[in-house]
Amino acid sequence: MTTAAPPTRELPPLLRLRTRSAAVLAIVSAVGLVAYAWPFVVSPGAALDTSHGGDAPWFFVILLPLLAAVVVAELSSGGMDAKAVAMLGMLAAIGAALRALGPGAAGLEPSFIVIVLGARVFGRGFGFVLGALTLFSGAMITGGVGPWLPFQMFAAGWVGLFAGMLPRWRGRREIALLAAYSIVAGLAYGMLLNLWFWPFAAYAPEVTYVAGDPVAANLHRYAVFWATTSLGWDVPRGILTATAVVLAGKPVLGALRRTARRAHFT
Amino acid sequence: MRPMRTVDSPGYARPLHPGAWWLWAIALGAAASRTTNPILCLLILAMAGFVVMARRSRAPWAYAYGAFLKLGLIIIAVRIVLQAVLSSQSQGIHVIVDLPQIPLPAWAAGLKLGGLITWEAVLIAFSQGLQLATIICCVGAANALASAQRLLRSVPGALYEVGVAAVVALTFAPQLVADAVRVRSAQRLRGYDGGRLGGMRRTAMPVLEGALGRSVELAAAMDSRGYGRTTEEAVGARRLTAGLVFGGVLGVAVGLYGLLDASVSGWLGLPMLGAGCLGAAAGLVVGGRRTRRTRYRPDPWALPEWLVVASGIGCAVAFFVVASRDPAAAVPPYPLDIPQVTVLALVGALLGALPAVLAPPPPDRRAASAVNAEPATAAGEEVAT
Repeated sequence: MTTAAPPTRELPPLLRLRTRSAAVLAIVSAVGLVAYAWPFVVSPGAALDTSHGGDAPWFFVILLPLLAAVVVAELSSGGMDAKAVAMLGMLAAIGAALRALGPGAAGLEPSFIVIVLGARVFGRGFGFVLGALTLFSGAMITGGVGPWLPFQMFAAGWVGLFAGMLPRWRGRREIALLAAYSIVAGLAYGMLLNLWFWPFAAYAPEVTYVAGDPVAANLHRYAVFWATTSLGWDVPRGILTATAVVLAGKPVLGALRRTARRAHFT
Repeated sequence: MRPMRTVDSPGYARPLHPGAWWLWAIALGAAASRTTNPILCLLILAMAGFVVMARRSRAPWAYAYGAFLKLGLIIIAVRIVLQAVLSSQSQGIHVIVDLPQIPLPAWAAGLKLGGLITWEAVLIAFSQGLQLATIICCVGAANALASAQRLLRSVPGALYEVGVAAVVALTFAPQLVADAVRVRSAQRLRGYDGGRLGGMRRTAMPVLEGALGRSVELAAAMDSRGYGRTTEEAVGARRLTAGLVFGGVLGVAVGLYGLLDASVSGWLGLPMLGAGCLGAAAGLVVGGRRTRRTRYRPDPWALPEWLVVASGIGCAVAFFVVASRDPAAAVPPYPLDIPQVTVLALVGALLGALPAVLAPPPPDRRAASAVNAEPATAAGEEVAT
């Protein structure tokens, strides 16, 4: 049943990203980005600014699950075969088990290493679905489903998507590249995820969202908020993932690629 | 009139449809989003907790409500510290304590360390934090009551593949932890007792290799059972799906732009967004038709499900009416007054607690564990037509 490994170095992606899926993913990602960053782009007097003032964050909490369902259905509609489903399920299980062991304690997100390395080997479309599904299954196992889940799924999906789009270097450069990416991804993930509850928060005026203020003023307040509350969690997350990539990247990548070749039966 | 079926009886022990629990919990959360009255928030919190205690199974996730309660306490504490203690906003006149103040650098203007702390600031922070904590705990009630694996069985057809992947993940994740324990005890038997880091690597790699090997075996098993055979899709249906999904997503994007920008006309906002959402949802439904499958023992949606959803919606409607008719009871204007409670709000909160008797009791432990083991076969249960 198992045929010999193909002579090509590059394995075909497990989940082909067709033009239509890529376009839907792009639009939904743009909308998703707005769901995080709307406090900065809403113009004074707009519908989200006044009539829905206090409810605007909940509005995105309702909208995002539908968008996540649509984009995941679209990505998998190109024909996800049994190998992609089994690999996706198994990698998400590893990520979810890691999440259950250390569920965000001190910002440590050990499942990131699975998302980054899995996306690297199996491609960007697979990476997006893997990131979203890992967070979803982790929340299901630990009973952590909440309004934050769709936001986490989108952000982790992007972590996987961009990990699958990195340049195709090999050897030591690949490990260095992935480690550097992990640090950036860890920081960006934290910076994005604070945004979903930031407008709820009525803290001190210097760190609170003020509707209708200029973008620069709100950005500065958010930067202070991020630096004083979240940076201490985001930096360890990035560094831990990068360390794990440096220490275990080579054997894990090797194991994933070996499995991809073994699974190359049709 | 239709004769009463066994599943319609509230006394017949069976797990309630997880969708019903989620709708009930979301409705309770919506009710809590209308009020910052601490008495009403505590009432909703107590009612949700009462239903959880009465109707939870003995599955591991059934204890999630306690974790969500702790999270709620953290939310309230953080809120009070940040808003009442660290903020230099004008605070009120009833002083609790006057702490010595430490000057802060200019970039942190608006923050303070120490200084006046007043009852008004603490109570406002408490009631706002309590509202958020109540909404979070309503979601926690759904987490405790609804089985994730049962919920995944009713995903729409377009999400079937990913749903199967999620079932695979949920089934194998606990096994991986068991694998890790097994590998580690095997190493200990061989006399290996290295450092933590080396130990991690020596455990992680065998577990990973085992999981990857298992995924290849699972894929082969699914392939040989005809997994993923889809009926040939008509060109027209494919174009319809593409058009609906693409148009829907574009509509959402344009509608959102209309909501964010004040200068565009009104129809670009909510109507466009609603149309886009409908289009995208229709795309999900139509796209799901490309594979026709039978469901193995589908969860029934019978009278108790309707009653549970109705009790949640009744609670939400009562709170929305209170918020519009009697704003002072929903959002107390002055924090030091004892909050008013209207009869309608009390009735609403009690309506939300009705599932404690309306929902069927969960099956006993032995039956529950049999049900939990059953979705493991979900990957192989598909019947392609």
